[in-house]
Amino acid sequence: MSTLSEQISDVIEKEPVALFMKGTPEMVMCGNSSRALNALTAVGAPVTTVDILPDPRIRQELAEISGWPTIPQVFVKGELIGGADITEELLASGDLQRKVDEALGADRSQDVKVVALTVD
Amino acid sequence: MKAEAIRTLLEQAFPNAVELGVEDRTGTGDHFQVTVASAEFAGLSLLDQHRRVNAALAAPLGDGSIHELRIRTKGIE
Repeated sequence: MSTLSEQISDVIEKEPVALFMKGTPEMVMCGNSSRALNALTAVGAPVTTVDILPDPRIRQELAEISGWPTIPQVFVKGELIGGADITEELLASGDLQRKVDEALGADRSQDVKVVALTVD
Repeated sequence: MKAEAIRTLLEQAFPNAVELGVEDRTGTGDHFQVTVASAEFAGLSLLDQHRRVNAALAAPLGDGSIHELRIRTKGIE
């Protein structure tokens, strides 16, 4: 079984758009996670979400990988975009739309899915 | 944590800031909105500007004193 760190890196590298958040799209547990998710869905991005709440180690490992201390964290094609504030600023400026269109193409899935990590 | 303590950390990290604001959003000392406008941000991406602010507040972010941090930065040319 892969380590927690490997699982997190896998999501970041393999998912078109990854959102590490508190809760799930169906039950968001934090206003900032909700802001980031809404910004991503507003530009028609597919979003793969990971709930960091089930174990504190998820957040610790993620922070070590990304160098970003807070939740949520948004990645597009493996690149850290930022937290809720940056994602909203980029939505307002049109840069989020451009970034997602450039990275994923206009003809893309807009599915929102949840990945659960295995913590031993 | 008092807003003033956050402000002190930011002032130390950004001595050239032309605008520096700290708002306790909930009045509970753990949800803050900070605004920093400084020449130090000129030419940096938004991501790197926020990284600088996160670094300045690494201690209270790390020990949980800050539960939620909202950041607004501006680079002054």
